[in-house]
Amino acid sequence: MFDFSVITQWIDQLLRGVMPDAAALVVECVLIGLALLLGYAVIALALIYVERKVCAWFQCRLGPNRVGPFGLLQSVADMIKMLIKEIIEIKHVDRFLFGLAPYIVIIASVAAFSCLPFAKGLQVLDFNVGIFFLVAVSSIGIVGILLAGWASNNKYSLIGAMRSGAQMISYELSIGLSILTMVVLSGTLQITELVEGQADGWFLFKGHLPALIAFVVYLVAGTAETNRGPFDLPEADSELTAGYHTEYSGMHFGFFYLAEYLNMFIVAGVAATLFLGGWMPLHVPGWEGFNEVMDYIPSLLWFLGKVGVMIFVIMWFKWTFPRLRIDQLLRLEWKYLLPINLLNLLLMVVVVVYKLHF
Amino acid sequence: MNSVNRYIVNFFAGLRSLLVGMRTTLRVFFRKKTTERYPENRKELVMFDRFRGELVLLHDSENRHKCIACGICEVNCPNSTIRLTSEMVTDEAGKKKKVLIEYSYDHGSCLFCQLCARTCPQRALDFVPTFEHAVFTREKLVHKLNREGSTLAPKPVAENLTV
Amino acid sequence: MLIDKIVAKIPGARAEGNETPTIVVAPGDYRALALFLRDDEETRCDFMVCMTGADRGESLGVVVLLESTTLGHRVYVETTTTDREHPALPTVSDLWETANLNEREVYDYFGIRFSGHPDMRRLFLRNDWVGYPLRKDYDASEAANPVRLESDESPDVTLSCREDGGEETRSLFDDEEYVVNIGPQHPATHGVLRFRVALEGEIVKKVDVHCGYIHRGIEKMCENLSYPQMLPLADRLDYLAAHQHRHALCLCIEEALQLEVPERVKYIRTIMDELNRLSSHLLFWSTLCMDLGALTAFFYGFRDREKVLDIMEETTGGRLIQHYNVIGGVSADIHPNFTRRIKEFIKYLPPMLKEYDQVFTGNVIARQRMEGIGVLSREDAISFGVTGPSGRASGWACDVRKRRPYGVYDKVDFKEIVYTEGDSYRRYLVRVKEIVESLRILEQLVDNIPAGDFAVKTKPVIKLPEGRYFKSVEGSRGEFGVYIESRGEKTPYRLKFRSTSFPLVSVVPHLARGNKIADLIAIGGTLDYIVPDVDR
Repeated sequence: MFDFSVITQWIDQLLRGVMPDAAALVVECVLIGLALLLGYAVIALALIYVERKVCAWFQCRLGPNRVGPFGLLQSVADMIKMLIKEIIEIKHVDRFLFGLAPYIVIIASVAAFSCLPFAKGLQVLDFNVGIFFLVAVSSIGIVGILLAGWASNNKYSLIGAMRSGAQMISYELSIGLSILTMVVLSGTLQITELVEGQADGWFLFKGHLPALIAFVVYLVAGTAETNRGPFDLPEADSELTAGYHTEYSGMHFGFFYLAEYLNMFIVAGVAATLFLGGWMPLHVPGWEGFNEVMDYIPSLLWFLGKVGVMIFVIMWFKWTFPRLRIDQLLRLEWKYLLPINLLNLLLMVVVVVYKLHF
Repeated sequence: MNSVNRYIVNFFAGLRSLLVGMRTTLRVFFRKKTTERYPENRKELVMFDRFRGELVLLHDSENRHKCIACGICEVNCPNSTIRLTSEMVTDEAGKKKKVLIEYSYDHGSCLFCQLCARTCPQRALDFVPTFEHAVFTREKLVHKLNREGSTLAPKPVAENLTV
Repeated sequence: MLIDKIVAKIPGARAEGNETPTIVVAPGDYRALALFLRDDEETRCDFMVCMTGADRGESLGVVVLLESTTLGHRVYVETTTTDREHPALPTVSDLWETANLNEREVYDYFGIRFSGHPDMRRLFLRNDWVGYPLRKDYDASEAANPVRLESDESPDVTLSCREDGGEETRSLFDDEEYVVNIGPQHPATHGVLRFRVALEGEIVKKVDVHCGYIHRGIEKMCENLSYPQMLPLADRLDYLAAHQHRHALCLCIEEALQLEVPERVKYIRTIMDELNRLSSHLLFWSTLCMDLGALTAFFYGFRDREKVLDIMEETTGGRLIQHYNVIGGVSADIHPNFTRRIKEFIKYLPPMLKEYDQVFTGNVIARQRMEGIGVLSREDAISFGVTGPSGRASGWACDVRKRRPYGVYDKVDFKEIVYTEGDSYRRYLVRVKEIVESLRILEQLVDNIPAGDFAVKTKPVIKLPEGRYFKSVEGSRGEFGVYIESRGEKTPYRLKFRSTSFPLVSVVPHLARGNKIADLIAIGGTLDYIVPDVDR
């Protein structure tokens, strides 16, 4: 299996050979930043296209089919449109906070994005509390949304932002607890170790029942975290027109838009990492031949494939269900997901203590 | 105990209803799509022949129409869409006759109620199922229905006038 | 007999007509008569069908059509005042809730003030509008009312007139209240309707309805049009029930002319009515799903509605606005493919309805968002005049097709869907089940269309004999009535459309109070009002 760290180390040595260590570090940081942002943008564009196609197929439509073959260039065209659009200045807004909000949202999502293990050796941030860090930075985004709602000086936006606040705070609990359940099983918070630990079988299979419950809860809570349907109350278009980003235009709106798609990717990526082995191929203990064949598939493909499946499921949720009402949303979290999660955590502890897992 | 039971039953009933919905949408996902591929399908696209796209004054192959400029359509139109311009002409026999100069029809304010075509004593008008009518200004929607140089068809004219 | 009793009770009252009697009273006795008609054992007129302002030349007044939901009889009440400068009549808005907005409409059109009415504001026209357009001496010139380009501020205060002629102002919203505009451009109002909503967090405290954004003055226009010319305007009231509305207008004119239409016409009109109901209810289903956030379901509904539209278009030449009924028949015979396509559709739809149920009706989220939300009691439904599926969900069997059959509804077997709960979910269910009933009606009719003419010849100039005529049909969302007052000319003296959606909008503030914003959307969606029909 190809290890991407070969490339990164080669670049590192090359740089250190021609310049002092400190300068090399700076150059590396810039390179990594650029690569991240590039990856971020490309993935977002791809996701927007995929979402449109998937949504259309669910709705007996064809979806984008005008720009480029099969409409492949549609989201590129949209990006160009978004970039050249005027950012409208609105009276009576808090100019500083209004401008700041989209950046907070996008920074939070880029920071979380950088924690994902894309392939063997292809990971930007990896330290001993990696998954903890991921959860922490991804919840900074809520500050941006609240600021956007408040600074817009628009009643719809404010209601949207308040809904978003209630929703994020509630569902963060479920996300945290279901991740904790898996941490109990793996015994580590470091993302590389989490992935390595699944070399002999994905956690979803190793942890059987409690892992499955945690997986489902994570998916539901993760969808809620991304503000996507059926949990899209903060922007509920038929109630609040566009919720917290009603007043945004041009690329400021584009940031919210990008962040929404990337957050979906991050949620799917974390689900893939925690439950489906990240970039780890499907290994069945005892089937040596099968395992070897699986190893021939590049690890990047494994990761993207798993994420793709997760994203499809999240989209499937969105394009099937009606939107929840705020009280239903909170009831789902506090009356169903949270108790189930707590019990499940206990169950996982029992499973681990008595070594009932595979 | 009862409430705990209800809690569990409700939870699973709810979950089941969600899964049933997801099964249905997934089935539709793989079904044939219903999108009309317009304008690629322009050739095959046939409108229903009774569809009312616009009003026309029927002309025959010799550029003759049947309008005698009686003005009934103009009077009947609820939205003043039709404007007739006519003049009195004395023919060879010395009889005075009204002759149509311009039949002006404002497509933009037409209600498509068919009163003009239905009340025309000469059956000179009809609606045709054309539909690509978009233009950039409202003025362009005002059409002159009688063609350039067209004349009134003599009385016992063949009935098969066409667009 | 009953009339005698009324005259004995209110000495000033005078009765005219026989089939639907008209009781004429002086303004002073108007309230007493209204109370008597509503509460007396033998009259029990609990349903105000429509209220029409009228200009009689030297006097101004109102004509109210009352109906008893238990006894089934109808009676007109007319009262006029000769004071054209400051006309005032007592209000009946406390007796029938629907009179609230109707009296505002009369005020808007005729300038009659109703003393005791809590909220005397213009309803459709701008606040700075000069004159009252339906008065016969109205100055319609552009000089009186030039096109105004500045926006019309909506004041927070309203006026109510006391019995003694004094005025009181009352503020609609407190300074502290968080007032949010829903509309006029809002995805969930299904057109340009505007609610001003006072919120407390997510909870709706008050709703103030603003109509008139697409007011076209159709009733005024009809006064200057001949009868065949006004037909296309009826299609444009509720565009989802175009055929049914035009049917009502044709029926009313035919009744006045005592014109008997061929049996074939009745069959074709009934089939078309039901197709129209199908298309309307399918659209209701789709848009409700969209309002509640299930966008995929929206497309399913539209996919299937397209097929109904195709069937109608092939015969009538129109999809939404059909222009098919004419006075004395229909404009063209049915297309040769008509029956075959309907049969195909009857086979096609039921499996799709099953899918609808799987995707939406049974869905736990949808159920919880609609069950127990916006409960309308039977009494309120009658008082507000909420007819149609919304009224039937509240337990009021108000189907005109059953109560006063027209077309060939007396010959077909169908069930009137009635629920008693009156919540949003039942309003939804009534419509979904009515789709099935419509299919059943079509099934019974489509093979039995008798041969014959598709129209009878009418005179080139149609003049209605003097008198007042009212005819109603079951539109897609309630009882749609046409009231014509003729003085024997070729244009009506006064024409009033009893709108189906107007009472539905008037009930929104009552239902939404205390619910959440999301519920307001669900309530609006399940009431299924169509704005052009409200504004007329």
